[in-house]
Amino acid sequence: MPTGRSLPLAIFHILVSLADQERHGYAIMQDVHARTDGQLRLGPGTLYGSIKRLLHDGLIEELDERPDPENDDVRRRYYRITPRGRKAAIEESSRLAKLLRQARASGLAPKTV
Amino acid sequence: MRWRKRFYRALLRCYPAEFRDEYAREMLQAYHDGWRAEPAPRLWIDLLADVFLTAPKEHLNVLLQDLRYTVRMMWKAPAFTAAVVLTVALGIGANTAIFSFVYAVMLRPLPFAEPQRLMQVNEKNDRLNLPNFSASVLNYLSWSEQTQSFDRLGAVSFSSFNLSGQGEPEQFTGNRISPSLMPLLGIQPVVGRAFLDGEDKPGSAPVAMVSEGLWRRRFGADPSLVGRNVTLNGVDCTVVGIAPAPLALLTGGDIWMPLTIDPGREMRLNHVISVFGRLKPGITLRQAQAEMDTIAARVGQQHPEVKDWGIRLLTMTDAFVSPQLRTGLLVLLGAVGCVLLIACANIANLLLARASARQREIAIRTAMGASRPRLLRQLLVESLTLSLVGGAAGMVGAVWAVRGINAVLPPNLLPIPDVSVDAVVLLFAFSITVLTGAVFGIAPAWHAAKADLNAMLKQAARSTGSSRPRLRNGLAAAELALATVLLVAAGLLVQTLFELQRVKLGFRPADLLTFQLSLPSGKYAGAKGPAFYQELLESLRTVPGIRAAGVSSGIPFGAGNYTTTPVTTVGKSVVPPDTAIPTDWRIVSPGFFRAMEVPLLRGRDFTDGDTRTAPPVISSVQATAQKFWGSDDPIGRVIKQLGPDGLSWTVVGVVGDVRSTALVRESPAMYLAMASRVWPVMDVVVRVDGGTESVLPAIRQRVRQLDPELPLATVRTMDQWVSNTAAQPRLNAILLAVFAGVALLIAAVGTYGVLAYSVSQRTREIGLRLALGATRRRVLRLVIREGMTMGVVGIGAGLISAVGVSQVLGSLVFGVPVRDPATFAAVAVVLTVVALAACAVPALRASRVDPMVSLREE
Repeated sequence: MPTGRSLPLAIFHILVSLADQERHGYAIMQDVHARTDGQLRLGPGTLYGSIKRLLHDGLIEELDERPDPENDDVRRRYYRITPRGRKAAIEESSRLAKLLRQARASGLAPKTV
Repeated sequence: MRWRKRFYRALLRCYPAEFRDEYAREMLQAYHDGWRAEPAPRLWIDLLADVFLTAPKEHLNVLLQDLRYTVRMMWKAPAFTAAVVLTVALGIGANTAIFSFVYAVMLRPLPFAEPQRLMQVNEKNDRLNLPNFSASVLNYLSWSEQTQSFDRLGAVSFSSFNLSGQGEPEQFTGNRISPSLMPLLGIQPVVGRAFLDGEDKPGSAPVAMVSEGLWRRRFGADPSLVGRNVTLNGVDCTVVGIAPAPLALLTGGDIWMPLTIDPGREMRLNHVISVFGRLKPGITLRQAQAEMDTIAARVGQQHPEVKDWGIRLLTMTDAFVSPQLRTGLLVLLGAVGCVLLIACANIANLLLARASARQREIAIRTAMGASRPRLLRQLLVESLTLSLVGGAAGMVGAVWAVRGINAVLPPNLLPIPDVSVDAVVLLFAFSITVLTGAVFGIAPAWHAAKADLNAMLKQAARSTGSSRPRLRNGLAAAELALATVLLVAAGLLVQTLFELQRVKLGFRPADLLTFQLSLPSGKYAGAKGPAFYQELLESLRTVPGIRAAGVSSGIPFGAGNYTTTPVTTVGKSVVPPDTAIPTDWRIVSPGFFRAMEVPLLRGRDFTDGDTRTAPPVISSVQATAQKFWGSDDPIGRVIKQLGPDGLSWTVVGVVGDVRSTALVRESPAMYLAMASRVWPVMDVVVRVDGGTESVLPAIRQRVRQLDPELPLATVRTMDQWVSNTAAQPRLNAILLAVFAGVALLIAAVGTYGVLAYSVSQRTREIGLRLALGATRRRVLRLVIREGMTMGVVGIGAGLISAVGVSQVLGSLVFGVPVRDPATFAAVAVVLTVVALAACAVPALRASRVDPMVSLREE
């Protein structure tokens, strides 16, 4: 789904969360929660609704093997970002970066973070 | 905590089954982990918000997916799609159109305040068999004084007004109304004021109201008309207000003046007004009727001349809608309902056949994990989409149909003028469309979704089970049954129409031109009225192209007026002494019968010598004369009005029977000589040699010569009047015939479809039979027998139902018995032939099966 349109927030967060490692659903929730300093808590419905859409669009895929055997639970499924998903996330990042640059130029954002 | 988990599990049921199957377990686990990490009540708020925000989204996704799939399916089978959409469009369109009329006439609340509290107060006389009769002014006054059930009563009397003074004189119908009428109805004038109490007293300054329509048309909606003077019937009147449309709905007409009541000049037996009343809050019709019965009895004791007259209360709906119109509309609604049912049965059959053809596809989808509810849902989305597309087309068609019917309806056929496809009608159409989709979709979807996966994959395209052919045959038989009922009803009504055209009118309507004149009573008092018409007739008879001319207070089927008065006879009679017969009275001029070509059977026509000073004379209609005197000669006999000082007349002539008020029945009638008196509005008839149009300018000119202020009104040919009378039966017959035709067509296609499908499914079996030595004739018979078993069952059931249904038609059918054996037989033959034709094609195809080819297909 690499288009010029922006990704929904939940989707983008899930992609970011999966960028460095494969995770199961609950781990994604925790990761997003931690990275946003507790600001964003993805509900199970939002999370799995987004996962379904990401799978359908081929931005993530489900793992056949379990990467974390000692902390494993048969009920959990793991997800990994696909090259297509990586591309979509990069596009979204540069779109946001461009927007941020414009905001800085207009004095709407601090010059440095 | 187990209950928390159980509660979340229950919440998860909000999601579509597919989504649940896939993720519910992990969602529960995620909830569980989350609660363990942070058992805060806040989590529950987040969870609830999460469910209620995302569950509808998931449902929408499924629906969109189903819709995309449906559109693909519809696109891939264009013939099937077109057949279904067209059938639904026909069914929904016909239902919407007819419902528009039913709603406007019978269901939409009348535009008065709390219309359910409004009543028409009629008189009745059981001895004279008059169940609904207009009221007399003196009785109205007595009721108004005595009633406790009504807030107030109001009266209306029909009238006619010549508007002159500004531009061409014009004649308008209108009414004299009591000042209480408008407050009683709860309606306000558009501009100005309504009549005030006291403006109905004799001698008060003349005031008038004009209709909104007339105000816009003739006065350019000028608000300063209120307060100005206009000349009505030669009298200067002040316009005090512009009347709102609902007043015209109740009383008709364009001009209103107060109903002046002078009790000293009224007769209690003179029934000339319509009375309306508003019940006090909480009073029921039954309570009010009981009170009015008591009042009528009391008035009868005080005034013995009205002791046989009672009171009958009618709701406004009953007062507005005649039983015949109501029956007609309900029959049409029933007919379109049948058409829709047939359409549903037919589409259900198409879908069943298609479901069989799609078995493989459904089996594969099931194998790939589609659940049964999911399949059911998908199939229902398909049928609902089909019906919604068809329904939308039908609604567009209905808008056109209603416009068309409105355009061809003669004015005044319906009591409510504005019939349109409005929001309520559209809501109805939408509801029946959804219902239709569900009805025709549910059985096939159920069948398809419950089919056994293994059996389907194994059997591939082979026909399954025996329940489906039985269902299909049953549906086709039901279609034929409904079509039979409709065809019988249509047959009876079409014959009624022919019978009506064959009715002997008693006069020759061709080449007759009619118009109305209204002489202002001030200018033409006493003998001046008859003298004017006498002079006019003499003048008209000299116009080239006019063969004869006459005047009557009410021509047959016309807009004129007649009174019904109970009369009795003096001397020897075949009726028991003192028995009164309600008789219609009309005033006619000398030469009227000649102009109408009504035969004079005995005695003489009226002459100009039958003036008000000469001995009073009448002519009797033959049938009425026979009622009084049997086969005796009626000439010289005497007819007497009821009551101590009732007038009496001597019969001088007997004329042929004339149908005057309705084509379907004869009313006792007598004629009075015009030279003795005229009524405010009179009908003039002119028999012409060539076209009726060519003499009209000459007629106008002759009228203007006599009185330049006198307008010609209601110019029509006699044929138009007669044709208007048959308008409702004609509309009933035409619409019902169209619906029956559509029903027959759909049912025939349905029968064909079922049998063709059955043959195609049994090609192998038929091939086997042929290979084993069955003759082609035998195969032909086999298929025809299967089809005709279904046909005979359907037609038989239809004929039996038609016997019951035809009772409902009783009041609409004329000239044929409702259980007319010939009609029933003809319909049975037609349907049998149609069913046979529908069977023939598949049967022939079956008999031509090549056994080698069909067996090799194994």
